[in-house]
Amino acid sequence: MSLGLAAQQPGRDDRGGQARLASALAAVARVPVSGRAWRELLFCLATVPLGLAVLAFPAALTGLLVLAAGLSAGSRQYRARPSDAAGFLGPVVIVVLVAFVVLIVLAPPIGRGLGAVHRRAAARLLGEHIPAPPAVRRRGREAPMAWVAATLRDGPGWRAVGYLAVKLPLVLLEAYAAIVWWGAGLANLTYPLWFPWFRNHPPAVRLSPVAALTPFGVLHIDTLPGAVVAFAVGAAMVLAAPWVTRGVVLVDGWLMRASLGPGRLAQRVADLEQARALAVDDSAALLRRVERDLHDGAQIRLATVAMNLGMALDKLDTGSGQSDVAVARDLAVARDLVSNAHQGAKDAMAELRGLARGIHPPALDNGLADALATLAASCPVPVDLTVDIPGRPTPAIETIAYFCAAELLANAVKHSGAREIAVDVAGQGERLVMRVGDDGRGGAVPSDGGGLTGLAQRVRTVDGRLEVASPPGGPTRVTVSLPLHA
Amino acid sequence: MAGLTVVIAEDAALFREGLARLIESRGHRVAAAVPDGDSLLDAVDEHHPDVVVADIRMPPTHTDEGLRAAIDLRARHPGTGVLVLSQYVETRYAARLLEGSAIGIGYLLKDRVADVADFADALERVAVGGTALDPEVVSQLVRASGRADGLATLTPREREVLALMAEGKSNAGIGAALVITESVVEKHVASIFGKLRLPPSEADNRRVLAVLRYLGA
Repeated sequence: MSLGLAAQQPGRDDRGGQARLASALAAVARVPVSGRAWRELLFCLATVPLGLAVLAFPAALTGLLVLAAGLSAGSRQYRARPSDAAGFLGPVVIVVLVAFVVLIVLAPPIGRGLGAVHRRAAARLLGEHIPAPPAVRRRGREAPMAWVAATLRDGPGWRAVGYLAVKLPLVLLEAYAAIVWWGAGLANLTYPLWFPWFRNHPPAVRLSPVAALTPFGVLHIDTLPGAVVAFAVGAAMVLAAPWVTRGVVLVDGWLMRASLGPGRLAQRVADLEQARALAVDDSAALLRRVERDLHDGAQIRLATVAMNLGMALDKLDTGSGQSDVAVARDLAVARDLVSNAHQGAKDAMAELRGLARGIHPPALDNGLADALATLAASCPVPVDLTVDIPGRPTPAIETIAYFCAAELLANAVKHSGAREIAVDVAGQGERLVMRVGDDGRGGAVPSDGGGLTGLAQRVRTVDGRLEVASPPGGPTRVTVSLPLHA
Repeated sequence: MAGLTVVIAEDAALFREGLARLIESRGHRVAAAVPDGDSLLDAVDEHHPDVVVADIRMPPTHTDEGLRAAIDLRARHPGTGVLVLSQYVETRYAARLLEGSAIGIGYLLKDRVADVADFADALERVAVGGTALDPEVVSQLVRASGRADGLATLTPREREVLALMAEGKSNAGIGAALVITESVVEKHVASIFGKLRLPPSEADNRRVLAVLRYLGA
């Protein structure tokens, strides 16, 4: 390397460094005008009144308690000297206490309602999609006490109430970020604009200084350069405001995820319920398909076979006592009918074989590797198959893996125009991972009611996952991950 | 009997063609062979057949199109016999078919076409206003019947005769099936009606209804 070149190097680096610095500064300057910063600010502004509204709740509770205590004290006083008022105050105390209890009972549903509002705001403004917790389990029309009991046991409702309680201090921080950092920062930017207007007084007059709010105290400004300083401080505040807001909002987002979602156990139950529903539907659909296939296929073929044989028998029976020509004609018809029946019986066998294989491939009895090898061998496109599984997975897993492979191979052959397909099956820890890739044209989309969606549903019944990567133009890579033991 | 005009409705082409061939081999005329219930109604309006052979399960819904078409047909063409074929028999379907009257109604398993002579006999019976119920339907009815006490009073032979009556067979048909003379059949029938306290009736299809009602269909 020549010296000249070496000498040029730092200079170029320097320019590159400057450019990088400039672009970094530009990026920092762009943050306050980014959509995200404004949406986060909006979230803070929207939740401040909500959070304050929540304050009404404990206030009402304490108010009612104080009122009840006051009233009962009053009624004791009145009881000392009997009057109509004593008879009046007793029921009022009861009404107030009932209102207190009603408020307690209503807390979980109110918490749920406000939680839903927060979830919607988070989804709309922060892009944070928190799934709703499962609804309270209710058994149709139930007695009022049962309703109250179920409401009081509503875990997610109480968690939402807890969130609203914790949210109260957070609301102050959100208000701080919005009002002090954003509001005051933007206000400070305006000082140099209006300062000269109000300060064009004669030099002898002394005016009290103007206050400018900053997070670290109040600036007192009485000169134009002071106004410029206020502007600079304001600019710094506006640059920093998005980060302050983001910090607060991040904490709020974490809180919301932890307390407004379904909860881990509830989520798991919901997942399992869905998986069970899928499994039940899947097996019902399979049975229906088998019945339909039998009804429209083998059964009708066998009925036709029986009918042809019946007609042939009929022809052979009526043979006696007829002319030779008629007998020969009947024989020819009978032969034709028997030949039809023969063909029909063979077709019925082939159809039954196909159906039986569709229910449970016999090759699976020797393990997934053998079954997949048989499948690969019968595929019209060359298949590069690697199977490396330590032990044998449970039969249900083997069956699902096999049908996934069969469907994916059929898809690849039918739609992708691939020249080669690679199937790789491996055990990874407690999971069976099958990758099916082809060099075809890609663009496979899991659509409603499509084969891929059906597969994904089937896989989910055992806590498995199916991922499809198939950009237009290819290649297609499908990964199926199943537990080894279902 | 020969020379009936027949319309066939069956969605499986192979079976439809076989059925047409079978019916024609018995000397009848197949005026139309169609694949679904709607075209069945059109074909009947056009050809005015003596009897219709219809599959129960046909497109579009593959549930009970044939049955509904058969019930429609009874209202629109009361003189046309309807023989419904199915791969399963359901007493509920039989009850719907026989609602009100058993004139010109048949309900058979598809398997029965294998016995060509019996099937042709059932077809001809339905064409002239008789009844043809599948033995399977009858045995289901007998099994599910709440009249076990009454049925227990019958001799085994009488029970056989009762089942054949329920299938819609005439005395001659019952005699042929059990290889006994018609007069013996008549004696059995009289005894059955006496034991079960059924009103005696001459017409075969009234007799079918009486027996089926007794069995609780």
